[in-house]
Amino acid sequence: MKRRVLRNVGVPLLSIVLLLTIWQLIVVVFHIAPYIAPRPWGAIRAVTTDWSTLWPLVLGTIRETVYGFFVGALLGLSLGVIMAKVKVLQRLVYPVLVLSQAVPIIALAAPLVLILGFSVTPKVVIVAWIVFFPVTVNVLDGLSHVDQDLVNLAKVYGASRWRTFLQIEIPATTTPLFSGLKIGATYAVTGAIIGELAASSGSSLALYQEHANSNLNTAAVYGTTMVMTVIGISWFLLVVGAEVLATPWQRRSVARRQRWRRTPDDRTNVLNPK
Amino acid sequence: MSSNILLRLRNVEKVFGDTVALAPTSLEIAAGSFVAIVGPSGCGKSTLFNVIAGLLQPEQGEVELDGRLINGATGHVGYMLQKDLLVPWRTVEDNITMAARLTRRVTNDDRLEARRVAHQYGLGEFLRHYPSALSGGMRQRVAFMRTLVTHQPLLLLDEPFGALDAQTRLEMQQWLLQVWRETGRTVLFITHDVDESIFLSDRILVMSPRPGRVVADISNPLGRPRTFDSLTDPHFVEVKSQIMRLLHGGDQ
Ligand SMILES: Nc1ncnc2c1ncn2[C@@H]1O[C@H](COP(=O)(O)OP(=O)(O)OP(=O)(O)O)[C@@H](O)[C@H]1O
Ligand SMILES: [Mg+2]
Repeated sequence: MKRRVLRNVGVPLLSIVLLLTIWQLIVVVFHIAPYIAPRPWGAIRAVTTDWSTLWPLVLGTIRETVYGFFVGALLGLSLGVIMAKVKVLQRLVYPVLVLSQAVPIIALAAPLVLILGFSVTPKVVIVAWIVFFPVTVNVLDGLSHVDQDLVNLAKVYGASRWRTFLQIEIPATTTPLFSGLKIGATYAVTGAIIGELAASSGSSLALYQEHANSNLNTAAVYGTTMVMTVIGISWFLLVVGAEVLATPWQRRSVARRQRWRRTPDDRTNVLNPK
Repeated sequence: MSSNILLRLRNVEKVFGDTVALAPTSLEIAAGSFVAIVGPSGCGKSTLFNVIAGLLQPEQGEVELDGRLINGATGHVGYMLQKDLLVPWRTVEDNITMAARLTRRVTNDDRLEARRVAHQYGLGEFLRHYPSALSGGMRQRVAFMRTLVTHQPLLLLDEPFGALDAQTRLEMQQWLLQVWRETGRTVLFITHDVDESIFLSDRILVMSPRPGRVVADISNPLGRPRTFDSLTDPHFVEVKSQIMRLLHGGDQ
């Protein structure tokens, strides 16, 4: 147990520390000027000293990321299911979806802001736009690879299509669904930041960074990038956590709890009736 | 020896394009009997099962279960394949109650029965395990219990032990005979293993391909109960050579 925690938390942490160390070394060894690249510690300090200004902006970015992620995930799941179930729609819609991803998202952000205004909406739309695609592709793939013998078995039992879908097809797609969600989660923050950049007024993390950049406050620029990255990693880890909770059978051999509730002690009752 | 007929096929035919997977076939299966089906690969054994199970609609003929016409209708038989088809995301108990879950609400009675069957047939300790923690033989046993608790009188078993090693297969055969004796179901059992077909059954149907049809209907002279001695019984040897001749031509 302790070893597992060490391996799963300790090793990734170590790699981050290593990365920061290399950064520090490069800056020091090559005598890089602070306005070009600050030292890691300087970047972190730039962020912490201005935390009271930053915090609401961070919350804003988190909100855009999370809202957009959920909208995209839901949309992606629905599209995947619909396309798997209605083959005609699959042929009709799939090319459009691919097209939607071929459009450079940055080129899309500006018109979206024009249409939807400076509110949270265009950012949510951009995040959802990025997130839905890997979810759809993975869900569609998962659903089309469900073991047909299993589906037939359900049919032999007399199961309706709906129950087969709920009890067989959806659970069988859990793993690909989460693959899509994890890819989506890593890109979600990027979408939110692009949206913030496109809305060139108002206050946001992206604009804060732009401001720092034009003031040649390089430490704050790097610091803000680190904050954005932390938001992205945290969201990814939360999705991974959700997957762990949703798929206990992939890690355990015995279920933690069984539905013993509301039943008498079966063993004595049933084995020795009367 | 008058026994009532549970399953009756009349001139049932199944064609895939140019392939006559099953030539018009008529059959009567007595309630409570254990009937084995042997035949070379591709002779239409699984097709026959899929027609009886209602997964395939026959081109012609009637499938009658207990006097009711069930052509193309599902929900009337128990069905089990070489693949155990346990769902990895459910525990052994929840896999056993799968049929209930797929057709209605799972009740406490369903759970109790699943536990009872599991305890009775040697898997009581594993009710809360996920299938990934079980051996191949145990998984097939769970799959069979899942079939059993559907309470269908007719069980279609399509090479259920085909993927098991010889040792486990022998154990499973003994186990299946015990369960069959205790539950009084009617079993149709497809196998490639001639020994297995004789060891288990009351009656053996031998099929041949192109077009798929039943070429022999052998009443098994081997007495019960079956033990390892049955495998060297003169009746056993005699029936085996008869089937081998049917499967591989007369001269060997
Ligand atoms: N869905 C299908 N579409 C087209 N042809 C099929 C289909 N299912 C079976 N067939 C053909 O019907 C014939 C009988 O197949 P079936 O699966 O019933 O054989 P089998 O006796 O079960 O063989 P095995 O012992 O290998 O399981 C084969 O020639 C097969 O190619
Ligand atoms: Mg077959």
